[in-house]
Amino acid sequence: MDRKVAIVGQAQTKHSEDTGMPRERMLFELVKGLFGQFGMTRHDIDTFVLCSNDFETGRTISNVFEDTPVGAYMKDETKVEADGAWAVMYAATRILSGIYDTALVVANSLGGSEFRPYLIMDYQLNPTYDRQLALINEPSAAAFQARSYMDKYGMTDAYLDMIAARLLRNAARNPNALRAKADATPEYVAGSEYLYEPLRKLHCYPFTDGACVLLLASGEKAKDLTDSPIWIKGLGDSIESYYLGERELFRSPSARLAAERAYKMAGISDPKGQIDVAEVSAKFTHQEPIICEALGLFPEGSGGEVAEKGLSEIDGDMPVCPSGGALGAYPFSAAGAIRVAECFRQLTGSAGEAQVANAGTAVAHGQDGFCAQHNAVIVLTVEEG
Amino acid sequence: MRNVAIIGVGYTPVFVSKRKDVNIVEMISEAVDAAFRNTNLTPDDIDSITFGNMQTFEGLNLPHLWAADHISALGKPTIRISTGGTTGMSTLQAAYYQVASGLYDVVMAVTWEKQSEGDSQVGLAGIVMPEVMVMVQNGMDLFGGRGIGGMGGGSTGAASYQATSYLHHSGASPEHIDKMAALERTNASKNPYAHLRKATTVEDIQATPFISWPLRYGHTCPTSDGATVAIVVSEEKAAKLADQAAWINGVACCASDPTTANLIEGQITDPAEQQPARIAAEKAFAMAGIKNPRKEIDMAELYNGFAHQSLMWLEKLGLCKEGEAHKMLDKGALDIDGELPTNASGGVFSTNAIGASAMNRPAECALQIMRKIEGGHQIPKKVRNALAHGWGGLFQYVTVMIISDEPRKA
Repeated sequence: MDRKVAIVGQAQTKHSEDTGMPRERMLFELVKGLFGQFGMTRHDIDTFVLCSNDFETGRTISNVFEDTPVGAYMKDETKVEADGAWAVMYAATRILSGIYDTALVVANSLGGSEFRPYLIMDYQLNPTYDRQLALINEPSAAAFQARSYMDKYGMTDAYLDMIAARLLRNAARNPNALRAKADATPEYVAGSEYLYEPLRKLHCYPFTDGACVLLLASGEKAKDLTDSPIWIKGLGDSIESYYLGERELFRSPSARLAAERAYKMAGISDPKGQIDVAEVSAKFTHQEPIICEALGLFPEGSGGEVAEKGLSEIDGDMPVCPSGGALGAYPFSAAGAIRVAECFRQLTGSAGEAQVANAGTAVAHGQDGFCAQHNAVIVLTVEEG
Repeated sequence: MRNVAIIGVGYTPVFVSKRKDVNIVEMISEAVDAAFRNTNLTPDDIDSITFGNMQTFEGLNLPHLWAADHISALGKPTIRISTGGTTGMSTLQAAYYQVASGLYDVVMAVTWEKQSEGDSQVGLAGIVMPEVMVMVQNGMDLFGGRGIGGMGGGSTGAASYQATSYLHHSGASPEHIDKMAALERTNASKNPYAHLRKATTVEDIQATPFISWPLRYGHTCPTSDGATVAIVVSEEKAAKLADQAAWINGVACCASDPTTANLIEGQITDPAEQQPARIAAEKAFAMAGIKNPRKEIDMAELYNGFAHQSLMWLEKLGLCKEGEAHKMLDKGALDIDGELPTNASGGVFSTNAIGASAMNRPAECALQIMRKIEGGHQIPKKVRNALAHGWGGLFQYVTVMIISDEPRKA
């Protein structure tokens, strides 16, 4: 591949339980704001990649009324129906093909004020058997996964609480987070109610309204648009079995494969040494160690130790989710795009109170499916390389 | 960008109203298996998978997750694309970009719909349902706005506005719609992968009742169960893996405002205007180096849920002058052995597994070019450049691909 692709800009809503405005207006204002930052109009965008979900919008073809407010009418437009990380990867792929120089990713969900995400996720299930039996749903499946990891590596509930408390403290440094607590302690997390044991409410993502817009550009174009483009150096994804009984839930081979692909493309041979900050989509707290381990950021089974030693704190060895991650906000079609946007903020030094010192390389992660069945990994750098 | 070729296509053995013998993932796997059989490839040869359907038709959210085990996707990159009626071609275009970018060499595009799992007209009404609910909540007059009235007839109700406008502007008569319908149904009778496979005369069509004037029952597409898979590869891999290839030389898509459901009176765009078709076609022609499409395009596969649309798209895509399509039809130019064979497969009008419908268009073009058509609808003349077209959303999305017998010159 001789072309390069970079992220030039990002914009996010203030994520909330209820935006209090129509989806179309939310998107219009967000995109207009981003165009304003660059003195652009919609005609400067070569391709629009939208990302939303028919079940969540309650509408067949969720993007039909999104094209007008984001300025995609009479323009090249398509839609990814998955997590936002795939929309970012597809936009990058389109630019790498050489046919486009600029791409706008627009990902959104009103999972807070419209249909409940847990219900929507149930519609992923085989309609004849799994859905009818109603034995599993998204959080109950996640609880199996949590138990699997905790039993395998002897991790206790207290460590889950420590991870969640760290994320809630981080979220307090993120102006866009929906759920945050600057002085969150493990005891505070342990005070929340159980959904499915061992998962408590504060171990699980909050239902969120929100949107994220990312402006991508090819190498030369990116340098025209900004002095500090953030380069997409690697991307990869992989899917594993739908059937939970066929998976070893305490590890994530698909996240590992996704990371291997992305790292190979980015020339990363030593993720621990080369990556400065990670933003992972852990919809449930226990998924953070599982995914970080698959991404090679920590040794297998080290979740408890990492939490105890504070290795993933903002000033730790390997800062994970300085934004507060999925526990701070999780508008589900946009979540993966938000992880990329948070990496962009870190690498451009604009992450404010959550800033990781001297961040040069970041890894963003997105997921779909029960127990993170489908995983995507994107490597971003400050250096063009 | 790198050159990209289609080296093989896999269909489900049949496209019918109800596949009761298989469930969703079993049905999709039939087309995947057929694609492997037809290309002599194995799952190990596939670098990446693109996957598309319209999830509200089956009531299954993110169905690639359930399907993963059944389409040889495990351990592979997989992306789900969904853009309404254009989904099939949008999914193939995603595969195209993955190869053109150099990220992957061999990509499998999987598209399908099993409409018997749900109710398609409910699924289609679901496009505007949120707006209608807001209107009801706010005490607005539902039937004062002209846009919403058409939705009362499902998609046919809305399409009748388009057909009326098209007839008015083009000078075609309702009998031309009957004639186009009979032509395509008869083409479909020769296609083993078509759903409605009965040789049909103009009189047969005219004997069917009107649904919403000028559209008769015989002018409308069926709802089908079926899946289509295409395998696309880089130029280097095409030389290694296949003895024949059809080249994707032009790729374009374009969106517009939702044309039929602007619910406030006075904001209704003419649904027969279809600006995106012109924009997308011009872009695809330029990319494929086609300067005079009327001369250089040898065949067209058009997305026509309704029979008048074949004529309309020929004009909107620049394959003939405005108002000329029905004259070409009268001359026999659109027949399988005509000057511009149009929907030799029978079109969407005869087979409509929606998520696969816009994929079947380029798939048919590729098979025509490779002369691998099964059944009796092989176009006799040599096909050098074919135009494949997809259409969807609320009358608002258009995709176009130019499929050719030789790779594009740099």
